[in-house]
Amino acid sequence: MTYKVTDEGDTSTVFLDGEIDMDKTEGAKEVIFPLIDAGKNVNLNLSSVQYMDSSGISVLIESHQKALEKGTKLVIKDVSKSVLKVIMMAKLEQILNLE
Amino acid sequence: MSTEVSDSTNLSEKKDFLVRSSSLKDVRNFSREVFEKFKINEELREELVLAIAEAAQNIVKHAYKDYPDTQDRMAVRISCTDKELEISFFDKGKPVEKSKVKHRAIDDVKPGGLGTFFIQEIMDSIKFKEGDKPWINNLVLTKKL
Repeated sequence: MTYKVTDEGDTSTVFLDGEIDMDKTEGAKEVIFPLIDAGKNVNLNLSSVQYMDSSGISVLIESHQKALEKGTKLVIKDVSKSVLKVIMMAKLEQILNLE
Repeated sequence: MSTEVSDSTNLSEKKDFLVRSSSLKDVRNFSREVFEKFKINEELREELVLAIAEAAQNIVKHAYKDYPDTQDRMAVRISCTDKELEISFFDKGKPVEKSKVKHRAIDDVKPGGLGTFFIQEIMDSIKFKEGDKPWINNLVLTKKL
């Protein structure tokens, strides 16, 4: 997994790519959590993430809940078809902010 | 990768992996290779890869919870007839307590507890067996084709 972060005002966009599994989740959290802690709204662009397992889904849930606690917003953008299928299998499409 | 049986109606491939999270990518790659060879359609293939990776992850996370630096290996065997796919996992970790294997309530949204749910959603049956020596645990997943 690699990542890129762009900033525009109070919103940061995190572009993740590759396959997000148990081995990659700490890296993903290290990128996303400090932005939320700093009070930023975060757009998480998953267009280049081709695979995500339950560990990756846990990062999405944790990030979403952390943003709610901090009064910011996490939006998950451009989800690839394969990852959307896993999000839907977890019945999270109505819980997470997907665009 | 070893081909154990190969005739026109029964195919089987087995491979072992070091028990650690960095092996999960190799487990997925092995599974994808085998499913391609077995001509499993792409949509089902990716679901099966997810189920296999979740089961392997459970071995790393639970059977070897207290042994992150183990040098033990786990084995994955994928067998296929024209009617059914059988995926077996073998490990030498802590014996599985079947009563403790359950997923979280799906409407109780919180991190964790989804791996077993995904396996149940994707596969038709899940059986925990005692492994034949030297194995301790043997998980068998099946899916009708």
